[in-house]
Amino acid sequence: MFDIFKNSKKFPPLPPKPKEELPHARLGISYKEWHNGHVDKHKWRNKRWAVLILINGLFVLSFALDLSLLEGSLSGSRLLGFYLMDPYNALQTLSISLVQGHFLNLTMNFWIGLVTIILFYSLVGGRTFCSWLCPYHFVSENLEKLHNYLVKKRKIKEHTYNQSLRYVFWAGFLILAIVTQQLVFEDFNLVGITSRALIYGPGLILVWIIIIMIFEIVYSKRFWCRYVCPVGATYGMIGSISPVTIKFDLDKCGYCADCQDVCLVPHELWFVKRGKATQEIHYTGNDCTKCGLCVDICAGEALTYAIKGLEKLS
Amino acid sequence: MSKKTTNLDRRQFFKTSAFALGSLAIVGAGAGYLKSNKKNEIPTTNFLRPPGAIDEDIFIAECIKCGLCVQICPIQAIKLADIDSGLDYGTPYIEVREQACDFSCDSLQCVETCPTAVLNFLQFKRVGEEAIEKYDKEMQGKQMSKDYNPFKVQIIAMKEHVEMGMAKLNQDTCLAYQSKGYEGKVREVGFKGVNRSPYTNERKATPVVDKEYKEDICDICIKECPIGEKAIIMEEIQDAHGKKVKRPKVLDGCTGCGVCVMVCPTEKPSIIVEPVKA
Repeated sequence: MFDIFKNSKKFPPLPPKPKEELPHARLGISYKEWHNGHVDKHKWRNKRWAVLILINGLFVLSFALDLSLLEGSLSGSRLLGFYLMDPYNALQTLSISLVQGHFLNLTMNFWIGLVTIILFYSLVGGRTFCSWLCPYHFVSENLEKLHNYLVKKRKIKEHTYNQSLRYVFWAGFLILAIVTQQLVFEDFNLVGITSRALIYGPGLILVWIIIIMIFEIVYSKRFWCRYVCPVGATYGMIGSISPVTIKFDLDKCGYCADCQDVCLVPHELWFVKRGKATQEIHYTGNDCTKCGLCVDICAGEALTYAIKGLEKLS
Repeated sequence: MSKKTTNLDRRQFFKTSAFALGSLAIVGAGAGYLKSNKKNEIPTTNFLRPPGAIDEDIFIAECIKCGLCVQICPIQAIKLADIDSGLDYGTPYIEVREQACDFSCDSLQCVETCPTAVLNFLQFKRVGEEAIEKYDKEMQGKQMSKDYNPFKVQIIAMKEHVEMGMAKLNQDTCLAYQSKGYEGKVREVGFKGVNRSPYTNERKATPVVDKEYKEDICDICIKECPIGEKAIIMEEIQDAHGKKVKRPKVLDGCTGCGVCVMVCPTEKPSIIVEPVKA
């Protein structure tokens, strides 16, 4: 239970495994054979995209065909009559309404929706929302490939920033909401804008999405998701107590670091490089979106989906 | 990791943070400036907030732009504003000339569905309950008839409590003011708006263009008004020559639903709805 509060990064690293203990040596084959023997089948990626398209499709169909299955948008919705609230949006509304005195008028449905979302994402991992539901993430994830191609061809340079920048934006937009007494962030919220554009039809606001898309292609990959999006940051905070994570087993690792190449949040996989791991077993932190790309690509199956604490029970 | 690189990381973080805070401050100043300039008034007539909307200042602050009111509306009268429409982006509005609120849902579902209560249902709930109480008191002692239907009383009371706007007649173009009649369809072919006409006692909303009218003196707005004689009537007055003539008159009971605007046969509607601040 208390491993969440322990920063395993601060521990002294374990010595790197000797050559004969690497997985390919134990199987008696060469590293190349072992590494090439695994084909990335995109199993989890396909499942994830299917879920993403299904959920967003349900939103679209519910409005287009008047189905009442999943109504609203990702800012606030109703699943078969049960309300669901975007936590960052709800947080802003709450802080504004506390100042405005509108606090008591917020409906029971608002509270039900907020609590449901917090409970659900504290169980399945907060930023799971990002990779499994967010329509903009889907766009961004595919733009990243284009960006990587351009970097490889040396047309453009890669720019990276500190991940904590997201919390600066998180606090900044919250303060801005309280000071201006408006949901300022909602005008920039790519999650909400993309969701609404899909469901209720696109508008001039799409220009903003296109600006960010171009910026992400030519300057810094997945800039919005990585360094700005306060919605993702909020989900990350909620998910910090989540038991569902990606488990890393040092014993099965061949130090190829393929997983870090495909990972959408590579700093979460800091422990896969030779001589970095401090424990035999590592779990990813709350920035991990549980997208499963690393699980798909890992040649030694060292990375798997896991539920923290479950192996202690059995 | 050496100390040097950590310092570099930190320096870069502070630099980008400063940049981020700077851009946020610009955004904030911009939003504040726009807000003080706009004074948060709905800019045009015939653009209304959905029923039960609270004060515009709080409305745009609290509306989370989820679109649930858009989803629930059976006639799709409510739309979400885009950035070029002059309203706050993503907030719901009704454009009454295109599709007015004809109360087809019977229970103000958009208000009921709003999670942040910027469309405030409490007032309607109270009004509805009071109406039922009053109705039950009246019915007491009398033999329980087949007509006993508190739901009907409730929805009428709720409907009449709506205050989206106030209709206003343009006497220069209104056909009735020129003692003219009207024959045929009220709107151009291809017009998509629907209306549940109280006049023909329909159960469901039907397209406006499907209906043919034949009036000696145009009183279509009065016939189609979902509120009825509490909102708009044909008033008999004496004109300049001392002749008795009938003229439409908007009363205080008008809810601003905009059906009259939608069905007005003149090319530019001779009746408009001006939004009111709740």
